[in-house]
This record gives sequence, C-alpha cells and structure tokens, in this order.
Amino acid sequence: MRIVLEAAVLGVLTGGVYALMASGLTLIFGVMRIINVGQGALVILGAYLSFALSRSIHLDPFLTLIVTMPVMFLLGIGLQFVFIRPLKTDREALSVLITYAIALGIEGVLGFFFTTNYIELRAWYETASFAIFGFHVTWVYVFGFLLCLAILGALFVLLYRTSFGAALRATMLNRTAAQLVGVDVDRVSALAFGIGVATAAAGGVVFGVTNAFNPGSHYDLISRLLSIIVLGGLGSLRGAIIAALIMLVTTDIAAVVISPVWASFVFFIILVLVLIVRPQGLYGVRVRERI
Amino acid sequence: MSRLRVLKRVGLLAAIVIALILPLIAPDPSTTNLAVFTVMYIGLATSWNIMGGYTGYISLGHAAFFGFGAYSLGLLSNHLNVAPGYAPFLLVPVAGVISGLVAVLIGWIALRTRAATFVIVTIAFMFMGQLLAENLVKLTGGGAGLGFPYPQQWGGDFYNTPFYYAMLALAFLALATSWTIRRSKFGLGLLAIRDDEDKALAVGVPTRRFKLAAFTISAIPVGMIGAVYGYYVTYVYPQFVFDPLIGISMVLMVFLGGLGTLAGPVLGALLLEPAQLQFAYRFGASRLYLVFYAAVFLLVMLFLPRGVVPSVQELLQRRRQELASP
Amino acid sequence: MHKAALGILAGLSLVLAACGTNNNQAAQSAGPITIGVSLSLSGDFSGDGKALKQGYDLWAQDINAKGGLLGHKVTMKYVDDASSTQQVVTNYQTLINQDHVALVFGPFSSLLTIPASAVTDRYGYAFPEPAGGGPKVFEKGLHSIFFVQPATVEDNLVSYTQWLLALPPGQRPKTAAYATQDDPFTQPQVDKAKGLLEAGGVTTASYKVYPAETPSWDTLALQVVNSKADVVILGTQEPDAVAFVKVFIQQHYNPKSIIETTGPDQGKDYADKVGAANTEGIMVPTGWTSDSTAFGSQQFVREMVAKYGGSAGDISADSAEAYSVGQVVDQAAKKANSIANKDLINALHSGTYQTVQGPISFDSIGRPHGVGVFIEQWQHASAVFVYPSSVAKAKPEYPKPNWS
Repeated sequence: MRIVLEAAVLGVLTGGVYALMASGLTLIFGVMRIINVGQGALVILGAYLSFALSRSIHLDPFLTLIVTMPVMFLLGIGLQFVFIRPLKTDREALSVLITYAIALGIEGVLGFFFTTNYIELRAWYETASFAIFGFHVTWVYVFGFLLCLAILGALFVLLYRTSFGAALRATMLNRTAAQLVGVDVDRVSALAFGIGVATAAAGGVVFGVTNAFNPGSHYDLISRLLSIIVLGGLGSLRGAIIAALIMLVTTDIAAVVISPVWASFVFFIILVLVLIVRPQGLYGVRVRERI
Repeated sequence: MSRLRVLKRVGLLAAIVIALILPLIAPDPSTTNLAVFTVMYIGLATSWNIMGGYTGYISLGHAAFFGFGAYSLGLLSNHLNVAPGYAPFLLVPVAGVISGLVAVLIGWIALRTRAATFVIVTIAFMFMGQLLAENLVKLTGGGAGLGFPYPQQWGGDFYNTPFYYAMLALAFLALATSWTIRRSKFGLGLLAIRDDEDKALAVGVPTRRFKLAAFTISAIPVGMIGAVYGYYVTYVYPQFVFDPLIGISMVLMVFLGGLGTLAGPVLGALLLEPAQLQFAYRFGASRLYLVFYAAVFLLVMLFLPRGVVPSVQELLQRRRQELASP
Repeated sequence: MHKAALGILAGLSLVLAACGTNNNQAAQSAGPITIGVSLSLSGDFSGDGKALKQGYDLWAQDINAKGGLLGHKVTMKYVDDASSTQQVVTNYQTLINQDHVALVFGPFSSLLTIPASAVTDRYGYAFPEPAGGGPKVFEKGLHSIFFVQPATVEDNLVSYTQWLLALPPGQRPKTAAYATQDDPFTQPQVDKAKGLLEAGGVTTASYKVYPAETPSWDTLALQVVNSKADVVILGTQEPDAVAFVKVFIQQHYNPKSIIETTGPDQGKDYADKVGAANTEGIMVPTGWTSDSTAFGSQQFVREMVAKYGGSAGDISADSAEAYSVGQVVDQAAKKANSIANKDLINALHSGTYQTVQGPISFDSIGRPHGVGVFIEQWQHASAVFVYPSSVAKAKPEYPKPNWS
C-alpha cells in the first residue's frame, strides 16, 4: 500500500512536466488545427540548449530558461512562418509530415553536434532529498514540478486575463468568426506556435534534469504526448493537464501493482475506453471538422 | 486511340515487364535487396492509400498490421514446424486474414473518432500491438525477438529472388484492389466520405460500414507484406516491426506521389525508399544524413504539397490548353 | 494520368538495374582491403558507437603499422543502420556485394546482430562480432558467427553468484532484489543469477522485468528500495544504470552489494553521471578492465590513451571487445595463411586465440569459451578486477560502503 502511495506521489510530480509539454502541443493544435509531431524533438532541443549553456557558462539548468525560452519562442515563430503558414490544403495531414521532417532535422543536427551519447542535465543538488513519513522526495522533482505549475499558471493568466488571450481563444473557437471581428489570426497563430515551442524549452529542462536523453529520445516522448492530448481532448489545456496526470499516475501505480511491462498498456486501455464513450476526449468539444 | 494512350499503354507494359524480369537483368544481391524493400513499400503505400487516400482518414498506425502479419507468420511456421524454403510463403495469406481480423477490431473503435483524433488513436493502437508482442513472452518470445525458419539452402546470389517475387505479387494485388475500388460504387462512396462525411451520410452512404471495410481491406495486404518481410530478414523484434517509422514512411510516400491516386503511392515508394536506404548507407556515418533527408522532405512538401502526380498532371493539362488555344 | 509516373518507374528500374555490377571476387592479392561495419548512429535506438569504433580503428592502425593483415593494408568502412533491421540488412549486403569489402565485423547494436548474421552467412563471410551474445544469437546454428567475448552473455553473472555464495555464512546475503530490462542481453544473465542464488539459499525479495522505454525508472527503483534486500542485481543498459543508483542515493538505501550488467563498465562516462564518490563499491561483470594483464592489454591501454587522450580508467570495455575482434581475425589469418573468409571460418573453429580479454576459443556455432567473465568493482574512483582471485587486483569491498 505504501509503495502505491509513493508511486502516486511520483506520478504527480513527474506528471507536471508532461502536463507542461502537452499543453504546448494542445495549444498549437487548438489555434492552428495542426498536430505538431515535432514537439518531442523541440523538447529535446530545449534540453540540449540548456545543457550547452549550463556546461559552457556553468549556469544552473533551471536558470538557463531565461535564455532558452525566448530563443525557442523566436524559433517557434520562425518555424510557423516558414513551414506551417504556407500550408493551404490538407493542413492536418501535411502538418504531421512537415513537423515530422522538422523533428528528423532537429535529431540530425543534435546528433551532429552532441553525438548520440545519453546525457543528463546536472545540478549540484540533484540527489538532495527531504523525507516525509520516511519517504524521500527529491528536490529536483519538486523544483521541476513547481516550475511547471508556475508556467502553466502564467499560461492560464495569458489565456483568460489578457486581450491577446481573448483573441487566441476566439481563434481556437472559430477561426473565421475571429477574423470577422478583427482578430489578426495569422499573428495569433504565429505567437501561439512560439508560446507552444517556448513551453517545450521549459519542459526540456525539467525533463532533462530527471531523465537521461539523447537526440533519439523524441520518438518516445512524442508518442506519449500525443496520447495525452487525445485523452484530454484536442485543443483543451485543462484536458491536457488532467490527462498528463492520469497517464503518469496510472502507469506508475500499474507498474507497482501489476507489472512494469504492462504499465503503458493500462494507460492505453484507459484511453481506448474513454474514446469509446467520448470520442472527443475528456474535455474535447465535438466539432464538425474536415481534414 | 490517341497517341497519348498508346504511349501510356506501352509505358505500363514496359514497367510491368521490367518489374517481372528485374532479378534476371540485375542479379546483384545488393540491387535485388533494394528492389525487395522498394516493392515492399509500393505495396504498403498502395494499401494505405485505399484508406488514407480514398476516405481521407489518415492512419499513422498501419505498422500495427505489418507487425501482426510478421508475428503471425513467424509463430505459425515455428509452431507448425514448417520447413524453410517455399512452404512459409503458403502461410502468408493466413497472416493477411489475421491482420484483417485485427483491423476490424481496431477500426471498430478507432473509426468512432475523426480527423486528428483518428490519426493519434491509430498510433496508440500500434503501440498497443508492440506492447502485446513484447509482453506476451510465452507466445511471442517477448523483447528477445522471434526467429523465422531460415532457408540456408538458398545461397546469397539467389536468396533475394523469391522474396522479390513474393513482394511483387503482393504489390500487384494491392494495386489491383486499389484500381477495382476506384472504379466501383464502393469507391465512389469512399470519395464522398472524403469530400464531406456528413453529406455522404445524408445521401445514404453507409459511412460507418464503408469506412470499416476500407480500413480492413487496406490492412490485409499490409499484414501479408509484413509476413514476407519477417521471413526475409529472418528475425524480428517488437519495436522493429511495430515501428512507427514504417507507418509514417507509407504515409510520406503517398503524399509525395499524390494522395488518392493510383500511380502516386508507386511513384512515392520508388523515389523515397531507395533514396532513404542509400542516404543512410552513404552519408549515415557523417551523421548528417538525417538533416539531408529532412531538408529534401520539407522542400517537396512546401513546393509540391499535393504530391508529384497531381502537380505533374496539372502542368501537362495547362500545357495542353496552351497548345490548344492558338 | 499514370503516364508520367510510369515513365519514371521504368526509368528508375533501369537505374536500379544499372547499379548492380556482378563481380564477386574478394581481394586476393596483397593489395589493400576494406573491412565493413554497421553502427547505429541515428534513430530510436541510436547509441554512440564511439567506443566500439575507437577499438576497431586502433586495431586497424596497429595492424597497418605491423605491415597489414597478412600484408594487406586495412581500411575500416563504417555505415549507419539508422536503428532499423531493413537498413542493417541493406548495409551488409551492400558492403559485401557492391563495395566488395574483404571482411565484415559485427555491428554496434546487439539486437541487429542476428538479422545481420543471416546476411553475412549466406555470402560465406566470417562474422566476428563484439556485441551480440544472447542465447538467441546462436539459435540459427550458423557456422560463420563468432562472439568475441570470454563467455556467452547468459553466464556473465555466474562468477558474481559464486563469489556471493562463497562468503562466510555470517556475511552471506539472505535476500536479493532483481530488476532487469526485457532485453535479450540483460534478462538471460539476471535470470540465470537468480536461479543460482535461489539454489544457494538466497531468498528473492523482489523480481521485476521492465521495458526499455519507461517514462521513469523511479517507481521501479523504489520497489527495489522497498524490498530492503541485502544485494541488488540489475539488468541495466545505459541510462537506467545511472537512474537506479540515483534513486538509491536519494532514498538512502544501502544494500551490501550492487551489481549492474552494463553501465559501470563505461569508465569515466559512468563516474561523471553518478558522481565519482558514489561509484564506490558498485560492481559490474566484465571480461576486461584497464589493469588487465591479458595478452596485449597493457599495450592496448597505452595506445588508447596516446590516440584518444584521457586516462586508462576512461577506456570503455566496448573498445577492448572491438579490439579483440581484430586480434582474433589477425591470428586466424596467420594460422590459415589466408584472409579468405572460408579459411578464416575454418581456422576460427579450432584453436585458441589470444585477446586483450584473455584466451578465447569458439565452438561449432560460434559460442565462445574463454576464461569467463569476472567481477569488476569501483574502488577509489576507478574500476578494478576483484574476483576471481586469479586476476584480482584488489580485495572485493564487502559490504559496499554507504553513500557519501
């Protein structure tokens, strides 16, 4: 029983970073109706940028975000402008392929500069922990979790308390109508993509301090993130967060109660069951859309 | 008959003849190996196109059927003690049937969703297949992989030939199926779904049944091809056949060639598969091959978003119009 | 509508046809030769084959300095298999039939060794390989494959269990916890160790098999922690080897002994990741350490340091295994007085070959019989042989000191 509780705590702590990474993905989908298969690679890119910075100027990995988030934000705007905006027909399918090619490109570049050796972001306090009822909680997990909470909080403020957020939500609800009331949807799309990619930078740091990674790690990551946003409902920020927690907590508990090898399967079963009952996901809206 | 049609027939005939005698005119094993994989992808992309191209439902998880096919053949021939040689080929249709049954089950659930959700759900099902192959250790051998009968009696110079013809037969089967559907009422129904599913339903197209049928029909050849592939490479691991990259390659080829066309997937596979294998071989050690590959890809997608075949068609049509108007 | 496409199809088929030339003679004069190897440099399972490549390169340099392999200057050719079966099968066929390499050596990926071995076998090539030694590798019964390590992988932990069971009764562990990846390299060794220890009276406190792709290893490691077992036996590959140790440190869990199948044998790389102070007492089964006195080992170490920098402790066992492949081939060529693959295969099936990992001989299906796999332990920030006593440089530290 005790180990189940510990697993649940760990699931919540590690769920935070998945919630952050998935919210960037679902935001991009919500605004542009495209699946950014490159999100996993962008997360890994963010982790490598932080790695390079913390190695060269001995900065704490978390502090590197001051540099990497703006850089990745600009990169996102650039990617959107060059590769996504020109898409006119078959956007959903083509965007999958384009962003997949971007992911491959990033993997190739990272492999060239950093080799394919596994690395980890190191902080001097990485094994420091504190005990609650005899269970040692590691500080890096807590820091990572708090950072994710803070960024998610900022995202919510941006979405629900600013006029830009209103424009963004309007675009998510109905692109044409938003355009009619004077929203510059192209600008909103570019900024949303930038924000989504900037969250990947933050996700990358937290992922990188708690996991070893190499340029090929994006394959695993993206398959998890996609499952999360479908379970939560495509385009729903709240859904992405809840679904990320469900995924990490159930897999951690299933690993303890059943077996580690069946842990992901249990999550997929939950996903399938939810989709049978609610094809639009937990918080998704059933929209009539065409590919 | 117009000159164009004659040319077309001659070209088609020449292509078929070349395909049939390729191992005779190019017997070098490194060439026939390339041909095995290229023809394999012609079959895969053509089959995928029956679902993805005609109905517009993009499945990124067709590698699930590839994997089920491979594992079906491997397990069947091991349990039935099938002698290595031509005998395992006789079991390939069984692998197709098994993949078809799996497709009915997956399709029944996945086709409740539409558009982007469908895309992702198919990936999820593919990973479930991979996990089953990994975890049902008693049945599949798990992560340690599964060996196939190994026809040692076929020396290096001949070994690839039977596999080439098996792949070719399956590619023809897929093409014939795709062609027949394209010209049938069923095919019209699928195209109606692609254009507007709700309208199609309103005018009386049984959309659910049609989609499930198309999904299953497109999965069966994929399963059979997976079976031949497993036998060819002699050893499979869950993550190497339930491989998302195999799934995404089929899609890329169809888009490159032209979605929903008959020749598109063929062309896409002919261009992409040899290029990919050669790129990794020649430039892989420089670590830059992924960057090249991605760059080529992005350029094609940006400049020929509808694929090569439709773009070329458009070009030809425009030229013909220009010629017609004085 | 298909005209254009079909035209191109026909054209491409011709190009394909033209690519193939058909002359299959291996170089027989004393001219230079090329040896082909496939590495996994990209893709989902990419790893840095650097250590392996360094071992091969150093061997090629050494053999060329001595006048070549039976007089043939050696060039190594590396290609990328993109972590895919399709590509590895293509690579070895292309190396053999298009580039006409004289010899092939085994790939970096142990998983891809099996499909690759079927290819090299049917062209009659000898396939000495340093990485794939799981039981399934030998299942096909090929006569052309040779696993160049001092024992099959299954037996890697045998000497560890012998050491544990030989401890004085008062010190002998009572419980053991096992966790292993479901990998053909790791699981067979852990399962065998578990059987041996159970037979020797050590109770199993926990046994977990886990997939390679796990969102986090923490829960798994916690289960090991909660088992409070006396000794921990982990069937790890690279990243999880570090992850487990970190959780043990965080949870202040101090078993009397920890052994990991891979990870601690990676020299400095491992010490950097877990922290040098934390390595103290951690064990790993390996056929080679930098202070080994086996055939040519000290010279190998000096040359590695001279060529690639760093110190002796930084050298990965992968490099030594790759180097051994070259040594074995060199001696077989001399013995057969030929570098033809047929002669090499014949030669390798008899006799004993001296390598930096000690003497190795091969049975009819390429399983090695060597001195066995020893135990290496990290002591004072470097890894040394501690068991068996015939090779030991230091006494095993037992129990392992607590985390600093």
